Amino acid sequence: MEQYTKKKIIYQILPLLSVSALILAWIIFSYSTGGIIFPAPISVFQRVLKTFETPIANMTIIGHTLISLKRVLIGLLVSCVSGISIGILVGSNKYLKATIGSFLEIFRPIPPIAWIPIMIMWFGIGELPKVLLIVLGSFFPVMLNTASGILLVNKINLDVGQIFGGNKLSILKEIILPTALPSIFSGIRTSVSCGWTVVLAAEMMGAQQGLGLLVMKGWGINDMALVLGAVIIIAIIGALFSYLLKKAERLLMPWNR
Amino acid sequence: MNDLKKLQLENKKAENRNTFKLRMLTVITIILFFGIWQFVVDQGIVDSRTLPSPVKIYETFLVKLTKKAPDGNLLSTNILASLQVSLYGFFSAVIIGVPLGLLMGWYKIMDKTLTPIFEIIRPIPPIAWIPIVVVWMGVGLSAKVLIIFFSAFVPCVINSYTGIQLTNKTFINVSQTFGANNFTTFIRVGVPSSLPMVMTGIKIALGNSWSTLVAAEMLAASAGLGFMIQMGRQFARADVVVLGMVLIGVLGAVLSFIFSSLEKYLLRWK
Repeated sequence: MEQYTKKKIIYQILPLLSVSALILAWIIFSYSTGGIIFPAPISVFQRVLKTFETPIANMTIIGHTLISLKRVLIGLLVSCVSGISIGILVGSNKYLKATIGSFLEIFRPIPPIAWIPIMIMWFGIGELPKVLLIVLGSFFPVMLNTASGILLVNKINLDVGQIFGGNKLSILKEIILPTALPSIFSGIRTSVSCGWTVVLAAEMMGAQQGLGLLVMKGWGINDMALVLGAVIIIAIIGALFSYLLKKAERLLMPWNR
Repeated sequence: MNDLKKLQLENKKAENRNTFKLRMLTVITIILFFGIWQFVVDQGIVDSRTLPSPVKIYETFLVKLTKKAPDGNLLSTNILASLQVSLYGFFSAVIIGVPLGLLMGWYKIMDKTLTPIFEIIRPIPPIAWIPIVVVWMGVGLSAKVLIIFFSAFVPCVINSYTGIQLTNKTFINVSQTFGANNFTTFIRVGVPSSLPMVMTGIKIALGNSWSTLVAAEMLAASAGLGFMIQMGRQFARADVVVLGMVLIGVLGAVLSFIFSSLEKYLLRWK
């Protein structure tokens, strides 16, 4: 018994130890390399604070973060709405699958990042191409997962719905969507992380605002503290996204743990 | 009896006819897509300098096989450079990531020490590593391989980790009752039972390494398909850009097809 509690304490300490070892390694590495190519945590923090005094491209770091967030949220909204509705159509009808489905399938193997140069050639570096790129990056996970989630619906449940006099819309709402919801949600989770990656890539290849621009600016003038600061913010937001989605999943689907 | 057989045969025929009809519909859709694309460009509805026609892209493909302009490399050089980078990154991620994930999922000490570090590194998109890695190591092969490694490493670890944690407890108990020690149980029971999940992780890793490759090459490279696209953009050669996109799509599909066949072969006992 005593040994058991001892083990428990060790297991609680170990994560703290390893995280502090990571931070220590960061500090040691930065000092041993002179602090320029890999600045220490403190100088990164100071650099981030400095952006409040001397804004970059007329904006503080919060402004850039909000711009990136706005782009990604608009793109995600578009691809969730279109992905779920097209997914329902493609998943429930063979003929639509053979036409719309195979039409979309032509584009699927092309990674969204490969679209960035042609998007810039077509639409410049404004807001429209960025949102379009995010849609390209996040549409397929939602659509494909919706289509495959619908196939999971048990035929018997559909028959019961019809016998009890449900019309098409109510069967969709009460039977099909709840069954497909876990699958749709895992599609949304994938597309959120894809969307976040794509917005960064798009901003890194041509933008006037956004976190990706900060990374590129810092890289261009060898200001690695700025690069690391932006990367850390990007990571925190990415982690926050997946945390919030997990919470939302629990709330929406308490039966599916 | 005879009637029943006839009915079944007829049913089957109708089914076959239906699948044939659907296949034809697919083919027609794809032909229609390329046809409309060609028509729109030929008629000048869309400027051919911004959207080259399929025929023009095919011609560029043939020209690029023997000519180095505009990016300074033959097409084959670019393709080989891209394949080399992405496969190096992919294989090193699999070789390091899968055992690491399995160990983290099986041994609690590994779990408690390594999982927090992994969770800190995980949310950083691989693309965000590009500036940091390039400042460290320049734009050589190892820098690009490292970026690909980051993108492929995460799914390898996560899937191996969850896969081995889903091992059926009964099997573990049986193995221990028969006197196997923890390590033997890990090798003989845990690893095989996690294999399907590991394979899924490797498949995701392959896709990731191919799509990140483009980003790595667009930002820092001197050869490769991503580099070719970027050069095409700088010289306003939309045909080169679209050719690069098409090749990346086709090669990605081929890679994932090869892997799926391999997976089917390896998991044939399932």
